[in-house]
Amino acid sequence: MAQDLKSPTSARPDIHETKPRPLRHPSWWIGGAALSLFVVLFIRLLVTNENLHWDIVAQYLFSPEILAGLGRTLLLTFVAMIIGLAIGVVLAIMRLSKNPVFQTASWAWIWFFRGVPPLVQLIFWYNLALLIPTVSIGVPFGPELWSASMNSLITPFSAAVLGLALTESAYAAEMIRAGIQAINVGQTEAAATLGMTRSQTLRRIVLPQALKIVIPPIGNDTISMLKFTSLVSVLALPDLLYSAQMIYSRTYQTIPLLIVATIWYLVLSTILTLIEHYIEHRLNDGRPLELSLILSSLFRIKFGAPRTEVSK
Amino acid sequence: MSTTMPLLNVERLSKSFGTHQVLNKIDMSVKLGDVTCIVGPSGSGKSTLLRCLNYLEVPDSGVVFLDGDPVGMRWHGNTLRQMSFNELAAQRQRMGMVFQSFNLFPHKTALENIVEAPIIVQRRKKSEAVAEGMALLDKVGLRERAHYYPRQLSGGQQQRVAIARSLAMKPAVMLFDEPTSALDPELVGEVLAVMRQLAEDGMTMVVVTHEMSFARDVADHLIFMDGGVIVEAGPPKDVLSNPQHTRTKAFLARLL
Repeated sequence: MAQDLKSPTSARPDIHETKPRPLRHPSWWIGGAALSLFVVLFIRLLVTNENLHWDIVAQYLFSPEILAGLGRTLLLTFVAMIIGLAIGVVLAIMRLSKNPVFQTASWAWIWFFRGVPPLVQLIFWYNLALLIPTVSIGVPFGPELWSASMNSLITPFSAAVLGLALTESAYAAEMIRAGIQAINVGQTEAAATLGMTRSQTLRRIVLPQALKIVIPPIGNDTISMLKFTSLVSVLALPDLLYSAQMIYSRTYQTIPLLIVATIWYLVLSTILTLIEHYIEHRLNDGRPLELSLILSSLFRIKFGAPRTEVSK
Repeated sequence: MSTTMPLLNVERLSKSFGTHQVLNKIDMSVKLGDVTCIVGPSGSGKSTLLRCLNYLEVPDSGVVFLDGDPVGMRWHGNTLRQMSFNELAAQRQRMGMVFQSFNLFPHKTALENIVEAPIIVQRRKKSEAVAEGMALLDKVGLRERAHYYPRQLSGGQQQRVAIARSLAMKPAVMLFDEPTSALDPELVGEVLAVMRQLAEDGMTMVVVTHEMSFARDVADHLIFMDGGVIVEAGPPKDVLSNPQHTRTKAFLARLL
């Protein structure tokens, strides 16, 4: 052949016996080296800048005040999420009801609590006593059975829970509504032909399937909620951030204590992300979501035990 | 109930979607133990008719009687009242339904799909419901698949589980809405075999289908629908081999 004459191929190995040399990527190395340099410089800044006072960070990282604040932040996150989700389920069902009063009420609630910034709400709830001085339970226009002053009911904690949970309820409602609507109408028809009532169908057939769909956005919201709780420092509620603020207002070590708070927020959001990934992974495995499953996944992450099960 | 009274009686049933009249004054009856097949071109109203029988679709006018009781409504003295959803749910337990798209509950295993309604709706003992559920799985040839989830089953297997799920409620009549239309051709046979066995066991069945050989072999009564009316009805051999109407002839000619 003509090609054989131009360049003798006798020195080449057999093409079937050899693998092509992998493509080289010089740009990866150059870009990687440049970025690594910046990372090294940044780390050097963190280590050598004396204003950071890592010794003070270490001193306060596990201080009882900070840990108590951490506990309050976690408590606030979970209480607000649970109340928010519970209200969200009710709002979602109301929104999907055929009753126009329910629909409109749910729409208005979602419109209001999604539209008002959580910080404004927190301050508003905290000052509720200015609007409604006393609360009472009784027959409308009739005798009063119980009453209390608003000032005794609204503590920084209850105001914080109200503000955060109500904001979450609006977002959760839209998520759960979308989850319910994603369930094929054939599912409710099948349940109906088996003689299930509406509430049986909702509890046994629709919600378990919708839950599976809304788990990832709920996980996302939980991480957002963790960060939103830092807003409660305006109510002088000693959460993680406010505990750090109280310490640095005494010691003037502003930056080290903000770093302490930052480290804890990152640790918590990392743990929450891991839990969310784990649950999602389990869901994609196709096994049904059960409480025991979530608990066991939590347990494994905390203690780092390897997964031993083999999926079917 | 005397044997002369039909189990299901449909009187002057009409239904429109918007301006399109899907069912036009349908009359039909189904005797206890009979297999009725409804055939016809798509859009002829046969699925809507089936869905009106258990009130999944609410008819505009006309009444379906199950064992002499009107479906979806009840007499209160001399006033006719619409049934509440829960009263309707109680009535629907007597009419099993099998869907074209199976509609198994994807978050439950085959066995859990079957025992769900007996336990939740009929409040049967779990052990009893499971034993009966396993017997039903045996009947449809899927005992060894009891703990599989629907997505781990083939279409034919899913539809057989769906049939078992309906049978678990011990219905008086089984309604089939194109049960084999969503299946690969090689899976149709296994579902039809289960339905044949059911018919032999004496189950009252109303089947909307395109399977003419099933209709010919199994049906006691064949109904041909077109344009929202029953064009022709009778024993399947008469309707299939000696159709009287041109529309029936045209439809059958296209199938052969």
